[in-house]
Amino acid sequence: MAHIDQVSPTQPELPDAPNPIAQTLRMLWNDKFAFVSTVFLLLVVFCAVFGPLLFEDIATKQNLRGRNAPPFDFEKHWLFWLGGDALGRPLLARIIVAAQNTIFVAAGAVFFSLVIGTSLGLLAGYTTHNISQVIMRLADIIMSFPSLLLAVIVLFMLESSVFNLVIVLAITRIPIYLRTARAETLEVRERMFVQAARVMGASTRRIIFRHILPVVFPTLITIATLDFAFVMLAESSLSFLGIGIQPPEITWGLMVSQGRPYLTTAWWLSFWPGLAIILTTLSLNLLSHWMRTALDPAQRWRLENVGKKNG
Amino acid sequence: MNRKTPLVAMSLLASTLAFGAHAQSNSVTVVLSEELEIVEPCSATKSNVGRVLFQNISETVTEMDPTTGLQPRLAESWEDVGNGTWRFKLREGVTFSDGSAMDAEDVAHSLVRMKSEAIACEIGAKFFGGIEITSNIVDAHTIDVTANPAQPILPMLMSTVTVTPSTTPLDKFVDHPIGTGPYTFDEYARGQHIKLSANPSYWGDQPTVQSATYVFRADSAVRAAMVAAGEADIAPNIALQDARDPAMDFSYPNSETVFLRLEHAYAPLDDRRVREALNLAVDREAFVGTILANGTLLATGITPPSTIGYDHDLKPYAYDPERAKALLAEAKADGVPVDTEITLIGRINNFANVLETMEALHAMYQDVGFNMKLEMVEVAEWLERYAKPFPADRGPEIIEAQHDNANGDPVFSMYFKYHSEGQQSGLTDPKVDALIAEATAATGEARAAKWSELFGYIHEEVIADVMLFHMVGFSRVNDRLDFAPTIRTNSELQLSQIEFK
Amino acid sequence: MLNFLGKRAVASGISLVGLILLVFFLSRLTGDPTGLYLPLDASEESRNQFRAIHGLDKPLFVQFLNYMGDLIRLDFGESIRRSEPAIDVVLRGFAWTLQLALITMSLVVVLAITLGSLAAYHVGGVFDRIATFFSLVGASAPDFWVAIVAIVVFSVTLGWVPTSGTGTVWHWILPISVLFIRPFGLILQIVRGSMINALGSAYVKTARAKGIKNRPIIFVHALRNALLPVITVIGDQAAALLNGAVVVETIFGFPGVGKLMIDSILQRDFTVVLAAIMVTAMAIFLMNILIDILYSILDPRIRY
Repeated sequence: MAHIDQVSPTQPELPDAPNPIAQTLRMLWNDKFAFVSTVFLLLVVFCAVFGPLLFEDIATKQNLRGRNAPPFDFEKHWLFWLGGDALGRPLLARIIVAAQNTIFVAAGAVFFSLVIGTSLGLLAGYTTHNISQVIMRLADIIMSFPSLLLAVIVLFMLESSVFNLVIVLAITRIPIYLRTARAETLEVRERMFVQAARVMGASTRRIIFRHILPVVFPTLITIATLDFAFVMLAESSLSFLGIGIQPPEITWGLMVSQGRPYLTTAWWLSFWPGLAIILTTLSLNLLSHWMRTALDPAQRWRLENVGKKNG
Repeated sequence: MNRKTPLVAMSLLASTLAFGAHAQSNSVTVVLSEELEIVEPCSATKSNVGRVLFQNISETVTEMDPTTGLQPRLAESWEDVGNGTWRFKLREGVTFSDGSAMDAEDVAHSLVRMKSEAIACEIGAKFFGGIEITSNIVDAHTIDVTANPAQPILPMLMSTVTVTPSTTPLDKFVDHPIGTGPYTFDEYARGQHIKLSANPSYWGDQPTVQSATYVFRADSAVRAAMVAAGEADIAPNIALQDARDPAMDFSYPNSETVFLRLEHAYAPLDDRRVREALNLAVDREAFVGTILANGTLLATGITPPSTIGYDHDLKPYAYDPERAKALLAEAKADGVPVDTEITLIGRINNFANVLETMEALHAMYQDVGFNMKLEMVEVAEWLERYAKPFPADRGPEIIEAQHDNANGDPVFSMYFKYHSEGQQSGLTDPKVDALIAEATAATGEARAAKWSELFGYIHEEVIADVMLFHMVGFSRVNDRLDFAPTIRTNSELQLSQIEFK
Repeated sequence: MLNFLGKRAVASGISLVGLILLVFFLSRLTGDPTGLYLPLDASEESRNQFRAIHGLDKPLFVQFLNYMGDLIRLDFGESIRRSEPAIDVVLRGFAWTLQLALITMSLVVVLAITLGSLAAYHVGGVFDRIATFFSLVGASAPDFWVAIVAIVVFSVTLGWVPTSGTGTVWHWILPISVLFIRPFGLILQIVRGSMINALGSAYVKTARAKGIKNRPIIFVHALRNALLPVITVIGDQAAALLNGAVVVETIFGFPGVGKLMIDSILQRDFTVVLAAIMVTAMAIFLMNILIDILYSILDPRIRY
């Protein structure tokens, strides 16, 4: 625990200023967990972009007589190495193809709820009492509307397409960002530097975006990366209830739910897509941990001077 | 929380004892897939209600036995007295569990009640829809029942009629059913359990099982686990993939038939060649032993093969994708818009593996060149499309449905699914209407022959729909019980038939 | 303080009315329940009669006014599905949900805050890595998956606890454990992140500079400030639990309000949906008020 007492690390001498990209990459390389996470996430993004183009046909080709083929049968085509599903389709190919919808739904829902929720939260925390009240009542309503129920009702009225799912899930996640942003804003706006900026005549917009947002943002990002998992699982729960994405569209959540009846007989049906969800979340979070450290001047030394790290 | 601590500790102690000991040797626990919303005897033909009430609490006038045919129950005998009237002699010395004696007046009241518009009983609508029923009490234990139009199978219809006391209200469902059966309804703790116990004043033999508890678990794997862990004795309905233990798991034909109803009013489904292609494109054999259980039968008619008049000479359409493509090409050449998008509609949770089944069918249809979209809908939406009045501008639709008929006669199935006035019929074929009318009025051999003719006509000439499978159900039974499920287990579970080993 | 509570009560009332409006019209847009309750073969006349009995034949706006009129007299209407007062059905379920939520959240809060702070105290250490790994895996594992595996392992194979249902204390162990995992993982991560910030912030450094070497004091001081965002997330998770744990209730046959709501909307039993939402919403509003009070206790600079 030596480094706790090592309060302000002295800036290491910079022999010749390295270019920032190389610097970032080196810091990434120094945190092996973050590095592996990045590689994995790049792979997921690659699958999401090119997966359907490459494997769409193979992933939908049924073979009823070869259903629930067990994994690790290396004599088969490599796409069958993770086994086959209940209709004899290769699981690996399906996971790759499903990455597109999954990431689209998760990223879309998280992005929209983050942007909308944070904006409203900053507004509620910093502006007039009346606006704040309206926003908070709105948050109350959404928060007390059970998210699955809201999703069920909306998806009964609209078609359960990927796009509609993004909207529904985004709405249900707004309050968490809104309330967090507001709570932090309430605290930050009382801090010395904000008060000072205000006295010096900074505009409201400037105070919010230049002074408050940077302080609030790390917590929001932590929630957002965790919400990635939440959204993927919420989507899976909807499939569990029989609503949500409908075949022949696929997502990891739907695959997990479709494999559920076979949990005791053919575990691989829901295990692999479940693992994909877990690994993606894990990677996102490890990367976000790294980012927090890398972006925080007081913490950054941990990544730059690996040799000294004795934790 | 602190004040609760002694309470928690106490119940912890008490429950240690409770959880260790299994239920007493002469009681059984049954785990059902869904909770009962109502416990109303006049809707006891609904399978979830029937498994608890039918012949356990509420008995019927006659009884349909899958092996021996129609048997006496509350009626000892019956005879046709002409003009659509049947005379039933009721058993004497039968009392309801509230102590009152059962007589002709109770039967008459039950017949009125099941047709009461204020409560819409399942039995009245399902088995007596379009039939006017009147009764005349001859003496305390003799009753004449008249059906208009005349029903040659009226005694069989009476096997669905549950008898409740004449004091039962006509305008609302009961929440504590009273019947003449071998068990009494003791307790319904909503969300948790239903308890029955043996009726000491039962007119027949005292059953071996003295009490029963029903619990509800939506997940098939959990139901199977409960029997395996000894927490339950019977899980009447588990999924194929959970039925893996030959010592505990029984399969039985469950009287359900799965089929696709075709929308004849819209092109291209109004073309017979297209409908034939839809039949030829399905590799039915491939489902059996894979997505569906071994023992699943390929269907040629809408009722189980044990139904009278089922035409056993009909052959299921063989898998012939080339011929299907040729038929489509032929139809296209004649100007039939075969490229129109067809909606294939499945019902969520209709039976185990319904999603896989629908996905597989969808892929098979796409393979022969149909332009088809799969849509899985929940029950409310499904009903809107399945039953009349059909939605306007619905376009060409194919609707998956599962039909249950364990009564041995196809009359209701045929009327509701194929008659031009049937609630779920998309057909308007005068010949079908005529055949249904003739068969309904006929008896014995002639009746069977008429039904056979109709089965053949629908399957071969009209090609009304895509018949798929006669289904198989699975039950898991604890090996301390001597009980084997039958075709009736889908809709009833007579506790008095259960013995211990 | 009284002023604050009064204001919040009014605000919650406004939110509640907004919620009722939203749920009433949204749910009715999902369709007519008639077909679900009458036998498939029921005649058109009995369908019309059913609609008349349940007031479904009137224009939507009139139905709403009637409903609000009854509501003022605390009449929540009758459940179509169960032929009993909707509020009875809901309160029965909510009693179970409330107990489940309280027990689960208490465990989550205590364990997540303790372990999360410990992880933050030594960033990058072995304990931090392990805690992070397990909490993240827990937070991202599908709950129905965990539930069924738990039943197979702990009930069928090992025979330690009952598979499902209610009745004894043992019956609560699996549902609580499964429900615990996700909020625990999530809150632990938030605590950890927030504590890292707080431990690195100016006032902790000031405290150290002043020579306070006592680690517990630094710790408590940091925690007090780190808790603000944590409480928000706890509130969010607790609200989710109060709204019912649909998946866990379904699998374990637990008679809570979550499955009730979903079943009721599937069955178009609108009165129960509305009554359930009102009950859970009031619980959540109450909790939000408590959270805001907590904010001002933790940070006296926050005023309302």
